[in-house]
Amino acid sequence: MDYLILNGMHENDSFLQEINNRISEELDNQGLKGESILLHEKTIKPCLGCFKCWVQTPGICVIDDYGREVAKKMIQTDNLLYLTSIQFGGYSSELKKALDRSIGLLMPFFRVFHEEIHHETRYDKYPNMTVFGTLDQPNEQQELIFTKLVQRNSLNNFAPKFASQIIYTSDDALTIKGKIERGLSVLGDVNG
Amino acid sequence: MADQAIFLMCSPRGEESASYSLGSYVTSLLEEKGITINEYHIYKTLRNQTKIDEMIKSVNDSDIIVLSSPLYIDSAPTNTIKIMNIITRAVQEEKIGKKKRLLLAISCAGYLEYYHNNIVLQIYEQFAKTNGFTWAGGLPIGAAGTYAMNTITSFLEQLAQLPEDDPRYEIYVKPTRILDSVIKGAVEYLSQGKVVPKDELQKLEFVAMPLESYVEGGNKNWINWAEKIGTVEKLRDKPYEIKQ
Ligand SMILES: Cc1cc2nc3c(=O)[nH]c(=O)nc-3n(C[C@H](O)[C@H](O)[C@H](O)COP(=O)(O)O)c2cc1C
Repeated sequence: MDYLILNGMHENDSFLQEINNRISEELDNQGLKGESILLHEKTIKPCLGCFKCWVQTPGICVIDDYGREVAKKMIQTDNLLYLTSIQFGGYSSELKKALDRSIGLLMPFFRVFHEEIHHETRYDKYPNMTVFGTLDQPNEQQELIFTKLVQRNSLNNFAPKFASQIIYTSDDALTIKGKIERGLSVLGDVNG
Repeated sequence: MADQAIFLMCSPRGEESASYSLGSYVTSLLEEKGITINEYHIYKTLRNQTKIDEMIKSVNDSDIIVLSSPLYIDSAPTNTIKIMNIITRAVQEEKIGKKKRLLLAISCAGYLEYYHNNIVLQIYEQFAKTNGFTWAGGLPIGAAGTYAMNTITSFLEQLAQLPEDDPRYEIYVKPTRILDSVIKGAVEYLSQGKVVPKDELQKLEFVAMPLESYVEGGNKNWINWAEKIGTVEKLRDKPYEIKQ
C-alpha cells in the first residue's frame, strides 16, 4: 500500500505545510511509502478543455508538462490525498490545476452509474481518496459545500473509500492529530 | 437601474464554448437594455497584468457581473478559481469599492443532469458573499455542449419547423425555449437591479431526455470523432497501467 499527497497550498501557506509534514510523519509511522508533491512549485498549465486526452492520445494529456506526471502518479497509487485551503467552499487553484488535467484517467464513454450519468472507467482500480481542507475559522456553509464536493468527486473518481476533514488554523495539536487520524482511517491497499 | 456590466468568460475554448454562447446571449440582451458591457476572456486576461488591472477596474465600475464557466470535476476550473481570488484580493485592497453589484453565474456541465452544477453554483454564491456582491442567482446548464455548437437563437431557428410529436421536440425545442425564457426573464430582473427569483431559476431543473438516450448519443459522438482521426482502436488504452 502506498500514498500520494497532492499539496495544493499557495506559496507561504505555512499552516498547510505544517499539516503536510504531520500527515507524512503519521504515514511514515504506519510504515507506508509515498510522496508529497508541492504543486505550486510545478509547472502545470491549465486544462485546454479539448478532450484530446480522450480521443487523440487516449489516456495522455496533449500538454507535455508535469501535469502528465501527476496524472500518472494519481492512478498508480493506492491512496490519494489532497491538501487545500478551502476557497469559497471548493479547492485551491493550485490543487485544481493538477486535478483538471487528470480526466484522461477516465474513459470518454458515458454510462449510467448510481442512476446518474458518469464516465466509464479506464483502469481496473482507482485509489482511495482523502481530502484535508483548511479554514481560518468555522464556516458552516463552506464546510457543507466542501464535504459534498469531496463526496461527488469520490463518485466521479471511482474511489473505493473516501473521507474529508476540515482543519482550522486555530485547532490545537491534539485536535489536529485526531482529524488527521480520522482522515487517514480510510486508507488501504486497493490492489487487494 | 444598472448601467454597466462585466462578462467574465471562463472557458478555455473561447468563442466555441458553451460558456461564451450562453454568457454572450445574456450580455447581448443586457446591451439591448442600454447597459454597457465589458467582456473578459479570463484565459487571455490572466496572461497579462495590464489586462488584469483593467478587469479589476471594470468590476469596480460594474453594477452586474456575469460569470459564465464550464464545470470541471464537479467544481470550478483552476482559472475560474484564480480570477475569483484576484477579485477577492482587489476587494480587500479596496481597489474594488463598496456598491451594489449583482452576480449572475452560469455553469455549463457536460453531463445531462443540471444538478451536477449545484455545488459549483454554491461556490460562486460564496464568492459573491465573501466580496459583498449580491447573489442574483445561478443557471445550472446540463448537456451544455448543445449550446457550444449552437447559439440559443440559431438553434431555435433551426428547429422551428419541428412538429410537436417529433421526439426531438421534447429533447431540444422544449428545453431551449425554457432556457431562453429564463434568460430573458433574468435579464429583465438584472437590468432593474434585482435578483432573479428562485422559482424562475428552478424552471431549469429538468432532465430533457432518458439517461440512456444521452449515453447512446454521447458515445456515438466520441466514436465518430475517433473514426475521423483513426484512433478508435486506441480509445481504451491504459498508458499508465502498472505492469505486474
Ligand atoms: C477537465 C474537465 C473536467 C470536466 N468535469 C465535468 C464534470 O465534473 N461534470 C460534468 O458534467 N462535466 C464535466 N466536464 C465537461 C464540461 O463541463 C462540458 O464539456 C462543458 O460544456 C464545457 O463548457 P465550455 O464549452 O464552456 O468550455 C469536464 C470537462 C473537462 C475538460
